[in-house]
Amino acid sequence: MNLQEYQSKAILRKAGIPVPASMLATNAVQIKRIATEIGYPIVLKAQTPEPGRGKAGGVRIIHSDHEIENISNEIFKIVLNGRSIQSILVEKAFSFVKEYYLAILSDFDKGTPILRISEAGGATCLEPDSFSNAKTYECPIDINFGLKEYEVRNLVTKLDGEASLWKQFQRISLKLFDIYRQLDASMVEINSLVVTHQNQLYALDTKMNIDDQSLFRHEEFAETCQPSNQNFAKKQARKFNINYFDFPGNLGFVVNGMGLAYLTLDKLTQENLIPGPIIDIQEGPSSGSIATMAELLFSDPKIYAVVVDVFGGMTRCDELAEGLLLAEGKNLQHKPVFIRLKGTNAEKGKKMLQSRDYFSFYETTENLMNAAIKYLGELG
Amino acid sequence: MSILIDSSTRIIVQGITGRRGRSHALEMLNSGSQLVGGTSPGNGGEWCFDGRVPVFDTVKDCVDATDADVSLVFVPPHSAADAILESIDCGIKTIVSITSSIPLQDMMMIKVAISKSDSILVGPNSPGVFVPGVANAGIFPADIALPGIVGLISRSGTLCYEALEILTAAGIGISTAIGLGDDPISGMDFLTCLELFEADPHTDQIVLIGGPGGNSEFKAASYILEQATKPVITYIVGENLSPDLIRPFFPRTQRGSLESSGKKIAALSEAGAKIAKSLADVPSLINH
Repeated sequence: MNLQEYQSKAILRKAGIPVPASMLATNAVQIKRIATEIGYPIVLKAQTPEPGRGKAGGVRIIHSDHEIENISNEIFKIVLNGRSIQSILVEKAFSFVKEYYLAILSDFDKGTPILRISEAGGATCLEPDSFSNAKTYECPIDINFGLKEYEVRNLVTKLDGEASLWKQFQRISLKLFDIYRQLDASMVEINSLVVTHQNQLYALDTKMNIDDQSLFRHEEFAETCQPSNQNFAKKQARKFNINYFDFPGNLGFVVNGMGLAYLTLDKLTQENLIPGPIIDIQEGPSSGSIATMAELLFSDPKIYAVVVDVFGGMTRCDELAEGLLLAEGKNLQHKPVFIRLKGTNAEKGKKMLQSRDYFSFYETTENLMNAAIKYLGELG
Repeated sequence: MSILIDSSTRIIVQGITGRRGRSHALEMLNSGSQLVGGTSPGNGGEWCFDGRVPVFDTVKDCVDATDADVSLVFVPPHSAADAILESIDCGIKTIVSITSSIPLQDMMMIKVAISKSDSILVGPNSPGVFVPGVANAGIFPADIALPGIVGLISRSGTLCYEALEILTAAGIGISTAIGLGDDPISGMDFLTCLELFEADPHTDQIVLIGGPGGNSEFKAASYILEQATKPVITYIVGENLSPDLIRPFFPRTQRGSLESSGKKIAALSEAGAKIAKSLADVPSLINH
């Protein structure tokens, strides 16, 4: 789960990492009041957990009162990944002499946190290869012992920066690792970390991602995960420990395991088609949770047909069938369902589903996908 | 005859009184696997399945009484780290985590503990370790494979089942089938598994099934090029997937996450592995 900038900044501020003065606003009147308080120039920053706000025009500098109305209206009209902007962070514009990138990330291959410091600060590091082109240094961090000052020193002494900054880098990096640990984050990033004319480091922007699997032990984020901040399907999916991927196509999927998802997607890609929503039930969900998720596909008029490709191990195909029947039974508008069931209790599952004549059954993923693709083709 | 487990292996189930732990423990027992005990804090002293399997409060009590060397973890994600660390501490040799979705930083701590121990962790999100005719230490569908001399490793559990079914239909038997699990941070990787198969006199060729993301296939390719003597047949799912399609499946913080299947196929092919274009092609690439 991505935190929004104002949430992340509050966390940095509380930890004692310097951030510019800022306040949250939901309309132009509030923005004007805040601007008077902190003084022009100010920066208006769209608040969203979605990436891409900069490119969409969601970060704007404002020099006087009369610009506020128009520019804030433009920002409130931005929609990113289907999500509109509810609030704007009003921040004192900051001049600086240099930008850095500083982050604690997770190295999934090695299974350790890493510290990354780069001179590719600011927007430049969003471009591909930017980290390999600019001076970028990393070190793994021992999850149990934590980040040590000398480890930070080993990296910052290689940067083109004054020695007077080293202590600040050490202090901020150690605090950042504490935040990473305390929040069960998968990443905490300061970009950019700027050097002011007074030679002070300030966190101009920050991103934090909290590990979804750890949310059960972080009640402080219960509010953040509410429906307003997350669509219904994803919220349900998380509750059931089911993966839900929201693709825009017209063919919905129920699969178990990412391997099968890739296999079906690969087949679609070869035909230049895109998938609709993919529900990965993983291993062993109850028929009730399958029903709730599958109903999202059956009730959605954008979904013309549903593909079910399940090879049960811990997942029992009869439980899956029960879930599908529960979900499908609630909808009067019948749509074709292409089904392949294998593994645990597959025959029992198939028997249960055979009562519906718009359900069809296949032995291999290849045949299953061919039939579904052919049906889409016939619809034109 | 196999790697990680054999006919002398003594298996326990952590979380044996839970819904899934209980039903799969019973299936293991019925299929003849040597299930010697289980744990469930608070239920120690009870017996499961008409007095056939004793339940203990702690892994320590269980190991003391049963001399177990393999543990299957079925506990919920929030207590999985505790269960795995408990097994490491008790000297269990092979720990198989069927449980998936273990918190990221818990997995990081587990990786440290594993590296300092003699234990091997398979998973999380593993379907288990399966030696046909001997033991099904996990959740593999029953009767899906024949005993034989081909080793099978797969990141995806369902593709592992799929491959077993295809091999069985072609009359090809398996020495050991292992699902490594496809969670962001995993225990055992392809490389370790290839080394074990290489050292196993009863495995004479290996089928490796990978997919997009991570670098495990690249490390396998280096090993195949430099050290492996046994033929390796690979199938990497998702050759045609665009980065836009793959990206949503990976946390954006994951480094190297978009390593495409195409690149992996190229690396494995260059290393001398045989490349199957689909799972159905795998049997034709096996010498038999």
